[in-house]
Amino acid sequence: MAHAIWSGAINFGLVTIPVKLFTAVKTDELSFNMLHGKDEGRIKYERVCSVDGKPVPWDEIVKGYEYEKGQYVVLTDEDFKKVNPEATQSVDILEFVELDKINPMYFDKPYYLEPSKQGRHAYALLRNALATSNRVAIARVVIRTKEYIAAVKPIGDALVLELMHWASEIVASDTLDLPGDEHLPEAEMKMAKMLIDTMSAEEFEPEKFTNKYHDELLAMIEARAAGKELPKAKKAPARAKVVNLMDVLAQSLEESKKQRASRTASSDKPAAKRGKKSAA
Amino acid sequence: MAAERVKVEIGARTLSLSNLEKVLWPRDGYTKGDLIRYYEAVAPWMVPHLRDRPLTLERYPNGIDGGSFFEKQMPKGMPDWVGRVTVHKPEGRRDKIDYVVCNDAPSLVYLANLAAMILHIWTSRVQTLDEPDFVLFDLDPGEACTLKTLATVALGVRDLLAGVGLPALVKTTGGYGAHVVVPLAPGYSYDAAKIFAEIVAHQIKGAFGPQVALERTIAKRSQKAVYFDYVQVGRGKTIVAPYSVRARDNAPVSMPLHWAEVEAYARKRGTTTALEEFAGFNIRTAIARLEKEGDLWSGRAWKKSRLEPALAKARKLWSDLQ
Repeated sequence: MAHAIWSGAINFGLVTIPVKLFTAVKTDELSFNMLHGKDEGRIKYERVCSVDGKPVPWDEIVKGYEYEKGQYVVLTDEDFKKVNPEATQSVDILEFVELDKINPMYFDKPYYLEPSKQGRHAYALLRNALATSNRVAIARVVIRTKEYIAAVKPIGDALVLELMHWASEIVASDTLDLPGDEHLPEAEMKMAKMLIDTMSAEEFEPEKFTNKYHDELLAMIEARAAGKELPKAKKAPARAKVVNLMDVLAQSLEESKKQRASRTASSDKPAAKRGKKSAA
Repeated sequence: MAAERVKVEIGARTLSLSNLEKVLWPRDGYTKGDLIRYYEAVAPWMVPHLRDRPLTLERYPNGIDGGSFFEKQMPKGMPDWVGRVTVHKPEGRRDKIDYVVCNDAPSLVYLANLAAMILHIWTSRVQTLDEPDFVLFDLDPGEACTLKTLATVALGVRDLLAGVGLPALVKTTGGYGAHVVVPLAPGYSYDAAKIFAEIVAHQIKGAFGPQVALERTIAKRSQKAVYFDYVQVGRGKTIVAPYSVRARDNAPVSMPLHWAEVEAYARKRGTTTALEEFAGFNIRTAIARLEKEGDLWSGRAWKKSRLEPALAKARKLWSDLQ
């Protein structure tokens, strides 16, 4: 495994468990550099002052909070240091709660916790106790200069520290126009439930789902790097096709209607394409 | 060919039948006589479905292992009391075909005597050959597809259609698959029926995902999926008629089903295939079932629908799916 990004301790009552923090998720996202299309020169950024139009060196740059349009409160590094939390290097457990009592929207980013040698026993104890009580620990964590709320969860042999959002960061859904308990016909519910049943999986197997966009983009990059033809663009999704077809059907029904009307108008004539039936 | 012929009276007609002892199903021992007896017995329920429809005959003169041929053009030497219709190719082309039309029991027995084991019908009738009187949804399961999956998809089609006010009927094909149909009021073109079938196909594909395949190329389809064949709708395209016999072991027939039976299949566990289950409807069992159940595709059950109100509902409901 890669090197630890942080080392500190879990504080749990009178027990202290020295731990290291490791990345648990990495992003598949491809990163791109901006180039000048003509000559593929890298695009450089220059910090330019909007007042005098001259480049500004790093040591002359401060941070400003725009509290009103065009009005700034300037904060220096010193100012930030004053409010920074104490770098306690600790995961302070505050309480325990059942996992399903936590709205999953609160979870942000997981990290693995690894005990140091002298912490192994306490680590295992905490892990197993959490697992058997079906609870997770809610903790206050300081990583570098930032304070977080986090959950400590037992997952397999590991304790996972999952950073959480603060309550103030969660956007309420009540500003959206959502259907309430309207009348849902039983037949429709039945169909919906049946579809759920037939599409139900015994287990969630994330390996089944692959990041198509990423894979195709990567294939395209690899093909181009190797000087090959690019894969063909995909067809329009079926959704658009259906809506389109409904228009076509409406038109076709309209045409049949017209034909019917004109046929009724000349109803004595047999239709040209009709074959004759023999007498029985 | 053996010269021995048997004269029989069917209704008002006298028919001269041949080779009644010839075995057509070697593993079951069923003979051409058995085929003829079945078609004579099933005629009261079957003929209404054949009436006025151009037929394509699939003949097996040497039994189900002995090769077969399709016949659109009426065989030579047919008595003049067997119905027929001359169909010209569209767009004023000169080609024409004289199709057999089976309007009574004697005609059906006559065809059986030709070893016309499988009868394929048009989805329109001679009075209005350009207007299908039902829309067909042909559900064709892959080799590894279970009866449960097929039944579930069929029920999905039923419920999807019911959601836009279209009652549907279902039957076994007699082979692997199922036919779901929506009877139509007069006046709809094949184009409209075909587009409608395609819309339903995409909706069902959207709802069921990998359990449903729309690709025509077999190699591209999952063998566990149900192939939703919406291309089978069109002028001159045919489907196996209700109660037609199939050229398979057990001599299965294409049997209309109660939806409750399909629901029971959908609850079934295990890997039973439709082929195994549907073989239970065959020339030995069909008549007893029909005497008990009657024709599930006739009378009030054959409720003709209009597509305009269905389309109006579909525009509201189906655009929101997914």
